[in-house]
Amino acid sequence: MEYRFNNKKDFMEKLEALFKDGMRLKKMKIYMPHPEHDVEHLVEKYEKPSRLKFFTLVGGLTGCLTGFAFTTYTVFSWPLVTGGKPFISIPPFTVIAFELTILLGALFSFAGIMILARLPKISKMFAEEVHGNEYIIITDDAR
Amino acid sequence: MSSRTTETLEPGGHAHEHVSDPKAVKDQIEHDIYASVGKPRPLFWIALALSLGAVGIGAVCWAYQIYTGLGVAGITNPVGWGVYIVDFVFWVGIAHSGTLISAILFLFRAKFRSKFNRAAEAMTVFAVLTAGLFPLVHLGRVWFFYWLFPYPNQRLLWINFRSPLIWDVFAVSTYLTVSVVFWYIGLVPDIALARRLKQVKEGKIARVLYGIFSGGWSGSFREWQHYGQLYKYMAALAAPLVLSVHSVVSWDFAMGVVYGWHTTIFAPYFVAGAIFSGCAMVLTLVIPMRKIYRLEKYISIDDLEKLAKLLMFTGLIVGYAYIIELALAVYSGNVYEYEQFMYRMGGDYAWAYWTMMICNIGTPLLLFFRKLRRSIGFLFAISIPVNIGMWFERFNIIIISLAKDFDPYAFGLYTPSLIELGITLGSFGWFFTYYLGFTKTLPVLSVTELKEEVEHGH
Repeated sequence: MEYRFNNKKDFMEKLEALFKDGMRLKKMKIYMPHPEHDVEHLVEKYEKPSRLKFFTLVGGLTGCLTGFAFTTYTVFSWPLVTGGKPFISIPPFTVIAFELTILLGALFSFAGIMILARLPKISKMFAEEVHGNEYIIITDDAR
Repeated sequence: MSSRTTETLEPGGHAHEHVSDPKAVKDQIEHDIYASVGKPRPLFWIALALSLGAVGIGAVCWAYQIYTGLGVAGITNPVGWGVYIVDFVFWVGIAHSGTLISAILFLFRAKFRSKFNRAAEAMTVFAVLTAGLFPLVHLGRVWFFYWLFPYPNQRLLWINFRSPLIWDVFAVSTYLTVSVVFWYIGLVPDIALARRLKQVKEGKIARVLYGIFSGGWSGSFREWQHYGQLYKYMAALAAPLVLSVHSVVSWDFAMGVVYGWHTTIFAPYFVAGAIFSGCAMVLTLVIPMRKIYRLEKYISIDDLEKLAKLLMFTGLIVGYAYIIELALAVYSGNVYEYEQFMYRMGGDYAWAYWTMMICNIGTPLLLFFRKLRRSIGFLFAISIPVNIGMWFERFNIIIISLAKDFDPYAFGLYTPSLIELGITLGSFGWFFTYYLGFTKTLPVLSVTELKEEVEHGH
């Protein structure tokens, strides 16, 4: 079955009815013209929320550790006192670690959406299928 | 949008009750915003020709400098950092308000951000690309630029991570990468829409490119769900990043023992200045864009007024920082520091100092008048002196401090050479060329976010 809606209210009512009826994301496709927090909250009552946050967390931690480990490694690969500073100079190394936390946090998050949303979808890059500004629910009725 | 919105809004009512036909409004938004994409008008070609001409002048100057040597620039002892470093700091600063608008205002849920974020993010990316040229221009042997990157030399010595210049490499390259990713994420759904534009005909290369860059985005719930999370986390990462980048740039100076540079207030002072200059640049870019592409319906005077308030607010912080800087010099009891500031105000470069003071403290004060704040022409007019003033701020900090340091026998004056000014002109051309290209190929407002706001009744 395919349902098309011009406004969010009717779409959400139908969606909620479908979920209450035991329908799950696995068996239906939902298309929206833009992100909708209300819809997310509704769906997340029945389904798991996005796991993207773990990618961000892992990326950030990796970046932070890499920043400190890398700078520390380099000073000990040839121990040479420069400017009378200690080998492990925490304040300057924090700057490097901070920037790498942000960099890897962002890149891992970006990789996260590619993996979780299965992007890029080459078959859909040039597809004629266009959803326009309607809210669409397509259910697989052979359940 | 207003014609399709019922006039009597019930306070506290739900969004969908306000807009009689949300789908029609969304279709209209798409139609209006994508109207700018496609075949340019003569005015565009003239602007592009001027920008490319400036790029050409800059390129010739740089080629001449590479061929002849760095001696063709005015930099010498004691002023070893000249206009190139001024330009670098200026352009990094311009970039900052883009991230402020896209990330920090997003986290604060400021509604007017959706009117500026796309253009401001584009500006950020192009400004960092421009800024990134200057450390290279400043190199005597530019073909060895990769010596800046962290890898060991032949004797297995690594670069010195205690050097602020290396922090700068990390900060600016992270900033460029994250800005590009952030901008691109916001663009993906809009690029996906561009695939079905009337202007982009079947089989044309533009269509193929839109297809590739859309990544096959279909607008499914799963995609939007991850997208929502991603956007939130990217904003949360970009917000501290933007504060760190100009802080790191300021430490290039503040870590040195040069009087006029060696100050603890530099980080916040630079960040505020960066956002101040960036807001001015957003006004410079958005006001003509709004007029040429007929976006008056979407970017209202109220929105521009909010940006003007931000400009005024950051301008006040900058003014405060100037005064604190002076106060610190006077109360420090340090003769060098004191002399440095006396020299700034009344020495060889006093004209540059007072240009900065008038442009950066004087002009934003005019924004206290509501009438001026709501006058489009005035906002555009004021954005230019602010840009000039902020360029001179960096000129004052860098050049005046170096011209007069500890030893009177080492004092010296610096005058930018024509080559340096030519490359500076080229950098403006380079920046505007990118920006002009952007306005013709990508939607200049975030269509997705404007549509989202229809449902929330704005």
